Amino acid sequence: MDVGHTAHVVAEVAHLASSPLPAALVLGPLVASALVRPIGKRWPGMRNAYVVVVTALTLLGAVGLIPLVAEHHRIQSIVPALLDELTFTVDSFSMLFAIFTSFVWFAATLHSLDYLKHEKKHDRYHTTTLVVLAANLGVVLAGDLVTLYLFFEALGLVAFLLVIHTETDDAKKAAGKYFWMTVIGGFALVGGIFLTFALGGSGALEPLPAGHGDEVLRWAAAILLIIGFGVKAGMVPVHVWLPDAHPVAPAPASALLSGVMIKAGAYGIFRVVTALFRPEVAEHVEEGLWHFSEQLGLVVLWIGIATMFIGVFLALQQSNAKRMLAYHSVSQMGFILAGIGAAGYLGAHGAMGVAGGLYHVVNHALFKACLFLGVGAVYFRTHSLDLYHTGGLWKKMPITFVFMCVAAAGITGVPLFNGFVSKCLIHHAIVEAWEYHELASLGIAEKIYIVTCGGTACSFIKLIGLMFLGKPKMEYGPEVKDAPPRMLLGMGMLATAIIALGWFPQLLIKGVFQPGLHAWGLHGDILDHYLEHSFLSGPDLMSVVTAFALGFAFFFVGMKYHLFHLHAPQYFSIDWWYRQAARGLVTLCVGIDRTYEAVRGGTSRVLRVSRSTYRTAAERLGRQWRLVTTTLLTGAPGARDQHLMQEAYLVLERERQDTVRMAVVYASTHADLDEADGTRLDAVREIAAYIAGRMMHERMGVLGDAMRRGNLEHALALLAAVGPTLAEARRPIAEAAHALAPRRERGESITREVGAIVNSLLSGERFDLLVAERVPASKITLGHAADGLGRARRALPNASDLSEVHARGVSRLENVAAWAVELLRLAVSGFSQERSGLLPGHQLQEETVIQTRLRIQRYARDISANVAIVFVVLLLFAAALAV
Amino acid sequence: METEATRSILPLLAFALPLVAAVLTAPVQRVSERARAALLLVVAASVAVMTLVLAAGAAGGSVYDTYILQLTPQIWMYLRVDAAGALFGATVAVLWLLALVYSLGYMRGEHRLGRYYGFFILCLAWTLGLAYAGNLLTFLIFYELFSILTYPLVVHEETPQAMAAGTKYIVYILVGGTLVLLAIVLTFFSAGVQTFAAGGILSSETDPAMLQAIFWCFLVGFGVKAALVPLHGWVPDAHPAAPAPFSAVLSGVMVAAGSFGIIRTVFQVFGPSLLAAMGVMPYVTGVAGFTVLFAAALAVNQDNLKRRLAYSTISQMAYVVLAVSLLGLESTVGALVHITNHAFMKGGLFLCAGLFIRRLGAYNVRQLDGAARRMPITAACFTIACLGMIGTPPLSGFTSKWYLGLGMLETDRPWLLAVLLGGALMAAIYLLPIVYRMYFREPVITPEDLTVAEGREAPATMLGPLVVATALTVLLGIGASLPGMPVELARLAAEAFFH
Repeated sequence: MDVGHTAHVVAEVAHLASSPLPAALVLGPLVASALVRPIGKRWPGMRNAYVVVVTALTLLGAVGLIPLVAEHHRIQSIVPALLDELTFTVDSFSMLFAIFTSFVWFAATLHSLDYLKHEKKHDRYHTTTLVVLAANLGVVLAGDLVTLYLFFEALGLVAFLLVIHTETDDAKKAAGKYFWMTVIGGFALVGGIFLTFALGGSGALEPLPAGHGDEVLRWAAAILLIIGFGVKAGMVPVHVWLPDAHPVAPAPASALLSGVMIKAGAYGIFRVVTALFRPEVAEHVEEGLWHFSEQLGLVVLWIGIATMFIGVFLALQQSNAKRMLAYHSVSQMGFILAGIGAAGYLGAHGAMGVAGGLYHVVNHALFKACLFLGVGAVYFRTHSLDLYHTGGLWKKMPITFVFMCVAAAGITGVPLFNGFVSKCLIHHAIVEAWEYHELASLGIAEKIYIVTCGGTACSFIKLIGLMFLGKPKMEYGPEVKDAPPRMLLGMGMLATAIIALGWFPQLLIKGVFQPGLHAWGLHGDILDHYLEHSFLSGPDLMSVVTAFALGFAFFFVGMKYHLFHLHAPQYFSIDWWYRQAARGLVTLCVGIDRTYEAVRGGTSRVLRVSRSTYRTAAERLGRQWRLVTTTLLTGAPGARDQHLMQEAYLVLERERQDTVRMAVVYASTHADLDEADGTRLDAVREIAAYIAGRMMHERMGVLGDAMRRGNLEHALALLAAVGPTLAEARRPIAEAAHALAPRRERGESITREVGAIVNSLLSGERFDLLVAERVPASKITLGHAADGLGRARRALPNASDLSEVHARGVSRLENVAAWAVELLRLAVSGFSQERSGLLPGHQLQEETVIQTRLRIQRYARDISANVAIVFVVLLLFAAALAV
Repeated sequence: METEATRSILPLLAFALPLVAAVLTAPVQRVSERARAALLLVVAASVAVMTLVLAAGAAGGSVYDTYILQLTPQIWMYLRVDAAGALFGATVAVLWLLALVYSLGYMRGEHRLGRYYGFFILCLAWTLGLAYAGNLLTFLIFYELFSILTYPLVVHEETPQAMAAGTKYIVYILVGGTLVLLAIVLTFFSAGVQTFAAGGILSSETDPAMLQAIFWCFLVGFGVKAALVPLHGWVPDAHPAAPAPFSAVLSGVMVAAGSFGIIRTVFQVFGPSLLAAMGVMPYVTGVAGFTVLFAAALAVNQDNLKRRLAYSTISQMAYVVLAVSLLGLESTVGALVHITNHAFMKGGLFLCAGLFIRRLGAYNVRQLDGAARRMPITAACFTIACLGMIGTPPLSGFTSKWYLGLGMLETDRPWLLAVLLGGALMAAIYLLPIVYRMYFREPVITPEDLTVAEGREAPATMLGPLVVATALTVLLGIGASLPGMPVELARLAAEAFFH
């Protein structure tokens, strides 16, 4: 290819012809999906026709792209929405994807009409498939990364409804796994897209400009993008959802999932490797610029090799036909990735890889969809998917059998079926890559490739052999017959395409790949060489023979030694590790929450405890301080003790009055009162009052002692407890008063008798013992201190002394000092009031009076305390000034 | 781009109408409850219209202002509607209207409705005042008023739980408010009385220690409201305790008011260049990034739906602070848009939570099994809002996160994408299992268990606002690039900030 021509092509490609068709292709099914439910609610038959027509029109529209693309190379539509605008750009490759997508969709929709008869919620299924169709077309027609991401995400999330459609437990489990993988893949993808912006990308599906960002960023972007697309594509090691999700869906949905939707992932990887991380098409194709692209291609190539091998290995162990096909989807995606990877690795010479990978994309869509539809038909009739339980179906379902054979021939690469072409192209690409830099490892890759082809062959020998040939292993009823015509029609379309692409590879190679590669400025001539010299050539046929020989060998060895039922321990499965990781993440979150709550709870508990501790401490301190002020500062009988003494007085006074009253009552009931009744009672009252007064006086004395020992409070508590004991003295007093009254009345002296009675009562009662208690030493100390303070007070010079000094004439300073001393004396005397002389009882009949007096006293003391504090402060201030 | 401000009565009217309505609530409800509802609806709707008109005007590049009251010879209470304020104001008014309509259904039969509606409409006035405040003092006055006067709404149910949450709320908010006051006093001391201005009002010649003090006082003060970890303690308690429509407003707008305060502070008190020189922003980025992930991790283990949503709010609102801390144009656009988008998404989620409480008696996530069968519309709205929260295109959450991501690249910090996407992934982890339960689990609450609940879709008064909020979530996503949409206003505001 000459340089001038390349430049011309590039200029031509840069010009984008505008056409509404791409946007209409995407938005059409989307809008149409809204009508499925309204129609299907009333007329299910009409709904069926409606979805078939919509998919047919979509297919027609996709085919309509062909002349447009042939003429303009690239066409574009722009829809103003979302962040800026959605762009849809169609080049040859997009067109290819769009056509086979809508083709397979049409076939699967035809098939689904009958298949769904034993499923529920048809409207949901059809609505979902139309939305997914729109999203899928959106992905492959997207002109920029944001549009691509938007539809990719929609595709992934909405397809969830297809996976979970049957709503069995298996389906829910698989759908859950599918969903989380999709979500995580979506995040990887959007991260990768962001990083392409950091690499100077414009968001378009064009080569990123060189010289932006460092190597690390470039790799991070590429890896994130490949993981993001790879999740959908079933790429190892993020394929784990696929073998669970594809089999549980209804068969036509499986066909779409496996045949078409995973290609959206392949499409993404294709664009990443061959568009984003490819150097700008320049006038000179400079080899140096291809370095990163080469490395990335090598990585993808190896991922592809690993995917194809692991997929086939796992497929061989399956007994469920759909599950086996799902593992083959993984494996076949490996072929596609290997092709794309080789294309990237070969750089400017990668035409063979591009063609191989994309040819296989189309082929796989056709034969895998056909296989799923065929297996679906078997399930539709027999309700069994187990390879080891069916058999001999070729007689019962001959047409299905034929279609299945065609599809199997396609996937195993029998010559003149489509798989043969693409597998040979990929094989050529790998060999080319091996020869390109003589990397020995790629030689091994080539061997693995052949072995994998052998595994594939073995697998489908197994499928056809066990399911359709051999002897039936179960009884088939009359309902087991060939699939209904609409199902067969769907499969037939696909089978025809398989054969057509096997016979006429130039359809795609000349029609799509060469113009597309040409537009990129890559060498497409090598494909001509392939068509002319290698297609159906000896070496290629030999490799197929080798693969089939291996396949038969695997099959017989495996069947003989039961190797197809081996199961590795679970920690060999990546799935298990993912589950552990997910579980670990959730456990971590729960752990963080628990820890956080514990810390929060702990903190608030500490706060609560310290608050209550503070309160208790403050209260205790306050009590101590009060004790100090009431004992030390105000002299021993501080207001508190005074108050207590007054309470005690009240109690004892009441007791005294009660005693006197009782004596009078006693006398008036027991006496013969006819003679001198008034005077007799007076005498009784007088005597009783005297005795009771003596008793009270003595008891007060005991309490006074307790007070001086600082023990009054306790004594009072005891007093309250011994109340009844005190009352025991009433009756002897009354009797004595009654007995002595006549003598008193007569004017005789009764002092001695009264004294004797008092003494005997007192000694009997032992009031001091009743209220006695061991006195704590600290209180004694306080008492002593109070006494000391009293002495100090008395030692201070009094006013008369001072006036004497004043008279002698003193200096001003001495005057101030004298004034200060006087003030101090006042303050101290204010603090330590006289040991309270108790007020005479008869003045205090009412408690309120006592309480009021007490309050006045306390107030006075507080005032004096304040004065004292102010005074001390002043003194300190003066001292500070003086210094 | 200091455009000359147009004198306009609209901002004052938008602020004063709800005040009048609040005063009238008590007398009017003596006439009838219908009269009260009519009054409130008319006022809220006309205020929403006014704010939208102001927003449209601001989108056209105008700035409106009005003086309210002379406080001292130097200081006026001054309203000034710039693009940022207009966007926030319109968000506030529309969400408030939705919550009010919803309240008419939700609060029927509750006690002390006069108090509820009175304070509800009153707080609209304060929040609008805050959105439109033209200088720091006006901002502070409305900030304090609306913080304190929402207390009766937080404790409305007067359960012991609500009272405890209310106490917690008021203590946090008062401490935060005091710090803001201190910061404002220091600002006045350093820069005098000035209106908000692009590029900041503090000069770079101020004592650096003073600048640091002012900044951190502002940040911690507003951070309490914006629920930055570790100042977030009130959020997860206040939300479950408050009535659902108020939770919606609380999450959608109130928490955002703190973020809005931070935006004003960063761009119009300090100015990006001064802050960049001070070198404080990386710390803010760190705190905000930690908040995003930490709160999301805590949300995973919450069984109470509203509590889980509250933690989600903490996580999502930290995105705003994270974006602001980058001091980039795109990220600021993202921050402003995210406030609006989040308001309707989270508002919608809380409205759903209220419906689940009222119609199913379901307070907890595990009671929601199979809810979609009874309440398909509510479940659909919940699902859309959840997907939006995660940032699924084409919903509005995607738009704001897209701009946040661009901002991270623009300021050359691609590693922050890990926080952005990590937070979104965590959002998927704590939100989507709820959706799954609603659709694909068998219901645990049998119809016999339904005591409060009727187990069916709610009447239109409650469903309507929810559907509108959901529609906004979709519309703000799909139509993000259309003229007059938040993105345009936000871009205008951000460009003014960076002028």
